[in-house]
Amino acid sequence: MKKFTRTLLSVGTAICLYGAAAQADTIKIGLAGPATGPVAQYGDMQKIGVLAAIEQINKAGGVNGMQLEGVIYDDACDPKQAVAVANKIVNDGIQHVVGHLCSSSTEPASDIYEEEGVLMITAASTSPTITEKGHQMIFRTIGLDSMQGPFAGQYVINSVKPKNMAIIHDKQQYGEGLATAVKKEVEAAGIKPVMFEGVTPGDKDFSALIAKLKKNNVDFVYYGGYHPELGLILRQSKEKGLNARFMGPEGVGNPDISKIAGAASEGLLVTLPQSFDKDPANQALVKAIVDKGEDPTGPFVFPAYSAVEVMTAAMTATKSTDTEKLANYIRSNTFKTTTGELAFNEKGDLAQFSFVVYDWHADGTKTPAK
Amino acid sequence: MSETILYLIQQLINGLTIGSTYALIAIGYTMVYGIIGMINFAHGEIYMIGSYITFIVIAGLLGMGMVSLPLILFIALVISVLIASTYGWTIERVAYRPLRGTNRLIPLISAIGMSIFLQNFVVLSQGSRDVALPPMISGGWTFGDPSLFEVSFSYMQLFIWVATFVTMLGLTLFISRSRMGRACRACSEDIGMTNLLGVDTNRVIATTFIIGAALAAIAGLLLSLYYGVANPFIGFMAGLKAFTAAVLGGIGSIPGAVLGGLILGVTEALTAAYFPSEYKDVVAFSLLILILLFRPSGLLGKPEVEKV
Repeated sequence: MKKFTRTLLSVGTAICLYGAAAQADTIKIGLAGPATGPVAQYGDMQKIGVLAAIEQINKAGGVNGMQLEGVIYDDACDPKQAVAVANKIVNDGIQHVVGHLCSSSTEPASDIYEEEGVLMITAASTSPTITEKGHQMIFRTIGLDSMQGPFAGQYVINSVKPKNMAIIHDKQQYGEGLATAVKKEVEAAGIKPVMFEGVTPGDKDFSALIAKLKKNNVDFVYYGGYHPELGLILRQSKEKGLNARFMGPEGVGNPDISKIAGAASEGLLVTLPQSFDKDPANQALVKAIVDKGEDPTGPFVFPAYSAVEVMTAAMTATKSTDTEKLANYIRSNTFKTTTGELAFNEKGDLAQFSFVVYDWHADGTKTPAK
Repeated sequence: MSETILYLIQQLINGLTIGSTYALIAIGYTMVYGIIGMINFAHGEIYMIGSYITFIVIAGLLGMGMVSLPLILFIALVISVLIASTYGWTIERVAYRPLRGTNRLIPLISAIGMSIFLQNFVVLSQGSRDVALPPMISGGWTFGDPSLFEVSFSYMQLFIWVATFVTMLGLTLFISRSRMGRACRACSEDIGMTNLLGVDTNRVIATTFIIGAALAAIAGLLLSLYYGVANPFIGFMAGLKAFTAAVLGGIGSIPGAVLGGLILGVTEALTAAYFPSEYKDVVAFSLLILILLFRPSGLLGKPEVEKV
């Protein structure tokens, strides 16, 4: 009987050990963003970047002898669903997250991660308020609206020099935040926008707004928001004979806007993070992504890639996956990544991040604007 | 003409066009309500499905190298009306008929369920991104002084006005003149009595749903051509606005639905024209509340008479 108990015990221990070993073999990285819904293509960009990074790092032997594993969660860019996803990630025992994507989703989710000690790096949320709560676990590898807005504003002041400028936004955290930042910047330089108005996301008819732009002789419009609405505004402006140039943030800069607006998207100005996929140093990586049949040109692909790089570099240096140690390390060191040398400030934001203004073309491609 | 007047004309044209699109969808709501006293919340989704079928058919025909625009539009119209009507009939058969005679709330819940089902069905089968068509009918008239303000009125806008008017007229004639229309009116007065008199009321109701769905498909076709984009979520917003229009005009009344749609559209356009455009829904829906406070049965609705 005694012998039997001992056998049972040792078998039990072996199983436990095996279980622990199996868990220690992989580090799970949660990937949270919209996989469905109207802005799912931005979620795809993030996914392409993160999965490519995980693949490359695993090929090079993993981190501290462990392999990485990406686990995908869909928040549909919906704040309510984002909270549910964050809770699920915590319940699933995942300690490291890349995401979320939409600022309005990232903000409520980040509170949960902070409370539960989960390390989160967003590669796409640009709203300044996310890092203004004094959270310790929250970082980002992308610029802020408070950087992008003034940058766009400066471009308007120095290169566009509009006579009658209008600023339109979609009343969302991201769009209105950017629009307000641009307004502040141009007003400081003495350009007074003749209109500053919101539209409702999901609206299809902008004819009343366009007639108003026409009446005010607007020759330049800055739009803060996403591509489905701007695409329709461009298309209807062309039909109604409004001769104005449009400019928007990275939220409008994807080929779908050309699908919606067609020829009307020619000449649209877009501020985007610089095209890291054109960087000669990243060509091997670009090829690896293209070989998988995926698109490396999206603005969030490389920031997402570098988010994983920063996370794993910290894990290697601290020889740990403890999120508190990682957060401290990330805050006090610089990282060489595919998006350049990254350093983080006390709030968890990048110390600096550069944007570029692109000229958008009707076929969905872009070239740097003069 | 001064700039102010030209601008007002332009905004009225815009508002009447938006209003016509609301009216087209609202007619379907109001017909079903008029006959069985039920709000068919899945109606907006039928409109969305009509749009998708239009996109698929037009893209397919263009891909096959067909160039004649009227022919393409005709084929797209026939196919989307046929398929949408099948959906309308099936929905009634599956989700509403088994619940007839129960508490009025139960079919309402069933309708909301149907609406969510259809929306997700399209998301899963067609993807959730916007689908787009190149402009099919372009051009129009412009008038006014280019140095002041140039009013534009496109062929497509005229097309939508005419389609709405013709649909309303045709339907009003159908209801007031045809045999089936008489059966419809009888059903709306007293469905039990109509049944006793030997009219197949199930058939009348099925016909109502088929006609409602066909109208939604026509609206889907017109709006796909006008806006050039669709996604699986357009039915919800369109349905909500159309339902508002139907209530505003007096639910159950076909001219009321058209009038309600036009008032809603013009109010939205004028609000966006003279106030910051973010207030347009606030003003439009305040108007709805005001009208309902003073005329609870809507503008052209018959006041509910207590049956003895």
